[in-house]
This record gives sequence, structure tokens and C-alpha cells, in this order.
Amino acid sequence: MNAAWLAHRVATALVLAWIVATIVFLALHMVPGDPAELLLSTGGISPDPASVAELREKLGLDRPILVQYGAFLSGLLRADLGNSLVDDYPVLSEIALRLPRTLELIFAGTLLAIVVGVPAGVYAALHRGGTFDKVASGVTALLLAVPVFVVGTLLVLIFAQTLRLMPAGGFAPLTQDPVLHLKLLTLPAIAIGKGLAAVLFRMTRAAMLDALANDYVRTARAKGLAPGRVLFVHVLRNALNPVITVLGLHMGTLLGGTVLVEYVFNWPGLSTPLLRAVEGRDYPMVVGIVLTISVLFLLINLIVEFLHATLDPRVSAS
Amino acid sequence: MTISRRTVLGAGLAAPLLTTGLLSRPALAQRANGIIRYGLSAFPPNLQPWVSTGASAGTVKMLINRSLVGYGPNGELRGELAESWSIDGDGAWVFKLRQGCLFHNGEPVTAEDVKWSIEQIAGEKSTAYMRAQFQGVERIEIPDPRTIRLVTKQPEATLPTWFGNYNTFIIWRKSAANEPIGAGPFRLTGQERGTSLDLVAFDKFYKPGFPKLKGIKFIVYADENLRNAALVSGDVDMIEYVPWQSMAAVEADPRLKLDSVEGPFMDVLFNGTKPPFNDPRVRRAVAHAIKRDDIVKAAFFGRGKSLEGLPIVEGTPWYDNELAHGWNYDPARAKALLAEAGFANGFQTTLLATAQFGMHKDTAEVVQQHLAAVGIQCELQLPDWSTRVSRGSRGQYDMAIHGVSADNNDPDGLTVVLDTTLSPSHGRSFKVDAPRTIAALAKGRAEFDQAKRVAIYKDMQRAALEEVPLVGLAWRSQGYGMDKGVKGFTNLPGALTTSSGCMLEETFFG
Repeated sequence: MNAAWLAHRVATALVLAWIVATIVFLALHMVPGDPAELLLSTGGISPDPASVAELREKLGLDRPILVQYGAFLSGLLRADLGNSLVDDYPVLSEIALRLPRTLELIFAGTLLAIVVGVPAGVYAALHRGGTFDKVASGVTALLLAVPVFVVGTLLVLIFAQTLRLMPAGGFAPLTQDPVLHLKLLTLPAIAIGKGLAAVLFRMTRAAMLDALANDYVRTARAKGLAPGRVLFVHVLRNALNPVITVLGLHMGTLLGGTVLVEYVFNWPGLSTPLLRAVEGRDYPMVVGIVLTISVLFLLINLIVEFLHATLDPRVSAS
Repeated sequence: MTISRRTVLGAGLAAPLLTTGLLSRPALAQRANGIIRYGLSAFPPNLQPWVSTGASAGTVKMLINRSLVGYGPNGELRGELAESWSIDGDGAWVFKLRQGCLFHNGEPVTAEDVKWSIEQIAGEKSTAYMRAQFQGVERIEIPDPRTIRLVTKQPEATLPTWFGNYNTFIIWRKSAANEPIGAGPFRLTGQERGTSLDLVAFDKFYKPGFPKLKGIKFIVYADENLRNAALVSGDVDMIEYVPWQSMAAVEADPRLKLDSVEGPFMDVLFNGTKPPFNDPRVRRAVAHAIKRDDIVKAAFFGRGKSLEGLPIVEGTPWYDNELAHGWNYDPARAKALLAEAGFANGFQTTLLATAQFGMHKDTAEVVQQHLAAVGIQCELQLPDWSTRVSRGSRGQYDMAIHGVSADNNDPDGLTVVLDTTLSPSHGRSFKVDAPRTIAALAKGRAEFDQAKRVAIYKDMQRAALEEVPLVGLAWRSQGYGMDKGVKGFTNLPGALTTSSGCMLEETFFG
């Protein structure tokens, strides 16, 4: 692999991250809404203007915007994203607390999608045109069409409110109550993984059908290989390549999907503080979280490009 | 190998059996331990004792802190850290502290702590909600360790209610800046940031036998439907802010009960700095043009009540049935008032609300329809809440929809929404001229005789009906939903509903 190519990609990612941070910082300061006034008017009525002025001074909001931006960049270079304007909590600590929960949700949803989508796709391809194939194809269309918040609300209505089998939502730390933690993870993981499961089902089914039609499969069968060996060694291995590519592409989409799922199920990942921070104009918190999400996206892209370059040297050479 | 349909179906059927342990409902261990699980609508931004951070934070703060006075189940002011209070011959308020009150660190509550707390609230660098009120205290005297004497710059008949506000707590004077130590019935023992808070009973609380619960677990459900689902599914024993659309279902559920009161209200605010709303006749036309029942039905699913006057709570001495309907629905009168003001053909204007809260948006849409019927064509402006607040306090609107509670059930509690000479706020009209209303409020605040105060506040209502510093629209129901086994909790009447969290010290499982 070309080292210069890799360095160029990393540098580009860093510049993109800086551009995102700058745009978010400036855009937030330009929209109406004063964090100090909002914070002190939580009770319903606007506070004493003197109190607002005191708080603005205390939070450093009375400084010119360029001075605030300079302080932000300076902090960024020291890996310091500043403190929340609401409760002075370090933004980095908030992200460190919340990000693993969001990633756990994405991981659980992806795992569920793989466990359900891939075997179902294989089975449907092996029994093409059968009842399961027809029903599953219809269900996947439904799963792709119905928005994630509708599915989430229905899951709560059925499994929590009506059947009372699962908790409606919330969070319990894994270390304190592992069983409750898993129970609370189940419904949001289903909600976030349902779309990916449908995509994986369709991709697996289509790739399997392509692979099954190849000459080498007929040859393998003609050689007298066991059906299981033909399926797993000759068909599935080749069929999974496009499935893995699609899986990688959809990981970023799941990151966006967590916003709604976390809200519907009260899962305290990155989305809750992000929404609250936007509403309350908590500038450091918004910029910090958006920057983190952007860096994650860039990182995933970088890894994908790196893998492509590793597997196909022509990518970095070009 | 052939993967049969039977294998797939078998695996599907086996999965629930394998996870039976995972899916089974937990035993109600916490209830048996005397710990109530309470669905909170928002995680407290902070628990600073004097800064307003909303009613949900107020509920938690009321339980870990205490003030000189508080409210009883009927909304009556009752002693907490103070056992009595009275006005002395010189017009100063004198509070006598109860004996045996301890802070959570075991230190006794003293008059010095009270003095220090008031000084922090009124301080120059303070961001306290009650700062302006307490800056009206000229000096604080301590005649003896259990007595505090407050000398005010002007007569203040309602001063004791200042201590009933859930942003006025007495804190140990040697507390660290970010670790205030209070004297409430519960101690904060843990919190999962953004998710939950754990409180345990304070065993040295000054009221014998209280609190009745051993602890409270607050679990945050920001989404109202999920909060309700958590109550219905038994994840929590009690929730605040039952969504209006779910109130009937909670009432119908044999395991649950609803305790609701009409306390907060919706109103129309005006920008009084420019035509046409600088003319009280136009504001009165607006008041008579709106059919409030439609708002109650559309925005609150029938869970509320028309408000055709000032938000004075029915059943209080200040309530007058005739004055309470002074802005009755009368479109013909509205049109006549518009004609009198020179707008016989109506006019175009804007109506500011927010799309972030359904009740604001729905109310605005109903108001828009009724105003159009008398010739006032409103363009709806529905930004996010932050922008709504910013534009409101800067007077960047013509008319605006707002929803709020008074500070308490005394008419003086309405000062915060009626006195347009106070600093500009998103919660009161912008520079609307209402001199007689404001003068009556000041007169009532300085009068200690109850009968005279009643007469003054009826005059105030008459003045407000003419000057129209705001237009009342609808009381909205505020409900707590709970398991029928939860006893002893009372939703406080009227504006005090947001202070009902203090009742959790009397709550128990029956």
C-alpha cells in the first residue's frame, strides 16, 4: 500500500473534521437563542436580566465570537472540548459515557440483523419461490417501508404495554444489572436492526441465487461433495462478499438511526444530550457530539478505503 | 446439508423458551423495600438549590432540601424549618425556627444558615430565581439563634410565600459551592447521569414518622408516551405529566389511578409597542373572539377548562364568577370593538408560538381560526422553543401564545405574568400599558388585611379585563398517574401543582 496515499487520506479526514466543527460552531452562534436566558427560564418565566448577564459573563458568552472560536480551537488541539454550559460537566466525559451505549446499540442491532437476515436470505434462496421466500420477501418490504419510530412505538405498545413482557424503555448499567440491561437493549436493537436485517436478507438471497447458478457449484455437486460443503464452502463464501460490503455501507446509516431509536426507547446514548443541547443552545456540547459523530463517519470511511486498498492495490496506486 | 423449514420454525419456537428467564417480569422487590419508582419527565440540568431548572428538577430539589415554609395537601402554607411566622409591630416578618432540624451532615439548622441562604439568593452575582424578590429585603436580623427577622424595603404581605417556592431552600452555610447540603426528608445517594437518581430516607428528618417511604428511584422518561407506557407496563409506580390523550386510559385501568388538577394555563401575549395591539380595544376584541372550548378539545383532549378571565383559581377568596367570565366568547362584540378601534375590515398580523410543544402549536391554530372569523388574519410563526424565547423577550412579535403557571395561588403570584413594567420576558406581554392592573397588584402586595386584599384583587381583575395585559385561554389539566397501591400523595391545587413533589414525603404503599 502507498504510504503517501494513506497520509493524504488521513490529512483529508482531519481537515474535514475541522470544517465540520467550524460550520457547526458558527451556525449555532448565528441562530437565535441565548443559552443563559434559556437555562434560567426553564421554570417558565424569563429571569431577571441581571441574572442572565451574570451567567453570560460566567459562561464566557459575553466575549466576541472569534475569541470564543479561538478558545474552542485551542481546546481542541489539547483534546479538550470544553464544558457543558448547563451544568459545567466536561463534554469529553459526557461523550465517553454516552458513546459506548450508542455503539452497543448499533452493535446489537447489527448482530441481530446478521443473525436474522443472512440465514433467512440463505434459506429463501435455497427454497426460491416457496412459501417462506414469498412471505419473507413481503415482510422485508414492510420492514424497509415502515419508519423506525413507528416500529419502536409498536414494539413498546405490544411487548411492554399490552403483553407486559419487556420494559418500555430506559437503561440499566451492565455492571449493575446485566439481565435488566439485556432486556432494555432488546427492543431498541430490534427497532434499529430491522431495516438492516431486511437489506441483508435481500442481498444474501440475491447473491446466493447468483452463486448457485455458477458452473463451479454444479461441478462441486457433480464431484459428489456433501450438500453442506457445497453450500458453506462454495456458495456462501462467494455470496457473502457483496453482503459484507453492504453491511459496511449501512453502519453509518445506523449511526443516524440511533437518534430516533434512543429517543423512543429512552436509551441514554449520544442522541439525548445532542437533542437537549441543540434545544438549550449548549454550544460546546453540540459541537463536541457532532464532531464525534463526524469523526466516526470519517473513521469508518477511512477503514473501508484502507481495506479496499489492501484488497485491491490498484485503489491506492490510482 | 438441507436446511428444512421445520428446522427454522423449530429454532424460532425454541428462542422464547430459551429466553424465558430474560423476559420474565421482575419481582416487585423495590416496592416491598418501600422504594417507589417515579417516572420523571426530565433529568434535572442541575440541583442548585436557588436556580430555576424546571418543575421536574424542583420535585427532586424539594425532597433533598427544605425551606422555612412549604405547602400542605390543600395548598395551605405550613411550617417546615420554621414552626411559626408573623408580622411584628414595625412591619417586619419574624420566623421562629423549629427545634431539632438537622442538615444531612448532622449539623443543626440555625438562623445563621437562613441568613446566609437569603444573602446568597439576593447577592449581586446571584442567578437565583427569587433574586429580585429577596433584594427587597433591607436587612436580616437574628435576635436569637432560633429567630430571624426580615426587614423589607416596602411592606410585603406575601413574603412567606417566597419561602414556599421550590427555588428558595435553606442550605448549610459552610457547604462547598457545588455540593449544597440541605435538610430535606431524603438524601441523594446516587445518580446515573441523564437516566436516574436514587434517594434514600433521611433518618434524622425533623418530622417524626416521615418520610414514609424508604427511598425513591427517579427514572427519566423524556417522551410522554413512553413515560405513560412505563406506568401501564408496571416499570414504574408513578409518573408526572400524564399525557392528556392517555388520561382516560389511566382512569379506566383497574390497576391505576389519576390525580389531576387544573393549574397551568394558556394565554395570548401582545406586543404593546406598535399598532394595532397598543390599543386595549383591539386586545379586548381578541379576548372576545376566541371560543375556548375548542382549545380545550383540540389541544388538551378535553382535559382542561375554558379561561375567560384572569387565571384566578376557583374556590379561592379572590375568585369572582362574573369577573372570571369577563372575556366571554362574543364575536359580535369583538367585531364592534375592532370597528371602534378603526379596524372594521380587520387586519393582518402574526401569531408567534412554537412547533416544539404540541399544546402551543394546537392552541395557536385554534386561535388563528377564531381570529380569522372576526377579520384578524394571523400568519402563524412556529420556530423552535429557543427561538420563541429569544423573540419573546426581545419583543420580536405581534401576538404570541404562551403556557405557564403562576408562582402560587395568591393573586400576587400573577405579578410575574401581569406586570409588564418588569424586565421583558417571553412569558409576559411586551411593554403593554396596564397601569391600573399593576398599581392594584402593588397595592395588594402592601396590604396585610385579608378582606381589603380581596377587594383590591377584585379591582385588579376589573382593571385587567379592560387593559388586557394578557388574554386567558384555557386551564390545562396536570395529572399524576400512579398504581392504586400508592397512597398519601396529593396533587396540590391550582398553580401549586408543580410543587406537588413535596407530597412524596407523605406517600406510602398501602
